Amino acid sequence: MNRRGFLQLMGASSVVALTASCNRNGLVTGTLPGTTDLARFPEKTELILLTDRPPQLETPIHYFRQDLTPNEAFFVRWHLEGIPTSVDLRSFRLNVSGHVRQPLQLSVDELRSRFYPISIVAVNQCSGNSRSFFEPRVPGGQWKHGAVGNAKWTGVPLKSILDRAQVKAGAVDVSFNGLDAPPLPSIADFVKALSIDHARDGEVMIAYAMNDQPLPMVNGFPLRLIVPGWYGTYWVKALSDIAVLPQPFSNFWTDKAYRIPTAPNGTESPKELAKDTIPINRFNVRSIFVRPEAEEIVHPGIPNEIEGVAFDSGYGIRRVEVSTDGGANWADARLDPEIGKYSFRRWRTSWTPRTRGQYRLMARATNAVGETQSKAQWNRSGFMWNVIQQVDVKVA
Amino acid sequence: MRQKPNIFVLSLGLLALLGGCGDPANTSQQYDHGIARAKMDSMLDSNADSPVHTIVMPHDEPAFPPGPGRDEFVTACVVCHSPRYITMQPRFSRTTWLSEVKKMKDVYGAHISDEQAVQITDYLFSINGKAGTGQGPKGTYGE
Repeated sequence: MNRRGFLQLMGASSVVALTASCNRNGLVTGTLPGTTDLARFPEKTELILLTDRPPQLETPIHYFRQDLTPNEAFFVRWHLEGIPTSVDLRSFRLNVSGHVRQPLQLSVDELRSRFYPISIVAVNQCSGNSRSFFEPRVPGGQWKHGAVGNAKWTGVPLKSILDRAQVKAGAVDVSFNGLDAPPLPSIADFVKALSIDHARDGEVMIAYAMNDQPLPMVNGFPLRLIVPGWYGTYWVKALSDIAVLPQPFSNFWTDKAYRIPTAPNGTESPKELAKDTIPINRFNVRSIFVRPEAEEIVHPGIPNEIEGVAFDSGYGIRRVEVSTDGGANWADARLDPEIGKYSFRRWRTSWTPRTRGQYRLMARATNAVGETQSKAQWNRSGFMWNVIQQVDVKVA
Repeated sequence: MRQKPNIFVLSLGLLALLGGCGDPANTSQQYDHGIARAKMDSMLDSNADSPVHTIVMPHDEPAFPPGPGRDEFVTACVVCHSPRYITMQPRFSRTTWLSEVKKMKDVYGAHISDEQAVQITDYLFSINGKAGTGQGPKGTYGE
């Protein structure tokens, strides 16, 4: 739990404890980057702690040895301090309003019993996953590669709900709000929107189950918007309000935040920031090493299993190439059977290093429409990282 | 060691009010959408049979060392987020810290005066600044 140089207090969330915490002065002496704190939040296992209030928790890479990321290990990212900590299913309603003929107020039970359920296995990835690898460094959540997870989501297609509400002609956007609330009235509530066509594509869904279990509270209990192939910022947690709009949606979280340069992979130069930006949208292609992990020691003369996961926005991963010599030579990895087009696609290869020494492993994924990974990439917000990953291992 | 306990108590009281720490006077009050802000000591992880699902968030916040600007930092910043938002960052230049403070003030809507913004920037730079980058616009609010 210890972050070098900091006094910390765990335990009771009482004002007394807080007062004690804030009245004792620790000394900030050490450098902070590079240290890893673990923390255990309700309904979660020990995860990498970025921030505690609101919580931002990262999944340790070894959990990606499983095709479906366990709920208790799934990453957590909230924007506003006022996150829901208690939900009464007797009074909770999903409200559908706005440019519709039949506004709805649906309980979770009604969603389960009055709509035909679907399940989809889909990756959710934070827009800022891997932000800490951008150089020069950029401010924001300093994620490594674990702000991502793959789960089976079960619920109701958003289209079914919108059809039940009878969307009027002329609808443009659909906005989504959750139970989280800003700590000050001057701070914008976290609300996101999709175009009406996207919202009605039959794949965007409202999930009441994650890997066949209720969602953990910090992952969006009781309902979460699932936007397959799109970055996590659209996957509104604790979804409570859907509004159909006859005009384009506009607020801080789409007009000013979560925007990317228009160049491929959201790239721009630190010396010349892009003038034109657009809202972040679908995933680019990437691959993440699962093993070996960075700094892991492997042994010479015996086969070492190398594996990882690759994913994209739904075209499907078609090829993953692996290099064990820093990119000089590449060979195709074997792909596991496809679980679903929005799922992790596992890849494997075997590597028998002949001699001891330092090796640089690399993996490069390509999807069905030929999109592949970046060689270099930077943007001011630290979004959409998909640089070909390098893992330095010692053979000893 | 410079402290102003009254400010701490004030800001922490505000934090408790705003931070989802609960309404100590009411164990069953229902808010919009069925959010129940239960009394702190009655908050337990709910079991699967209960229609009320409740968690208790841990608090695990680093305390910060004394120094010029600390009070302004605690009052203006920690009210909305954990100090870990600072400690998780790499060491940034003073210019970068200033732009972060301005972003919080001008874009996110934090209640920070121009004068406080300078004091907070100086404090953040003093605890997590990149060596050799403090010359810039020190003590000013300008770009």
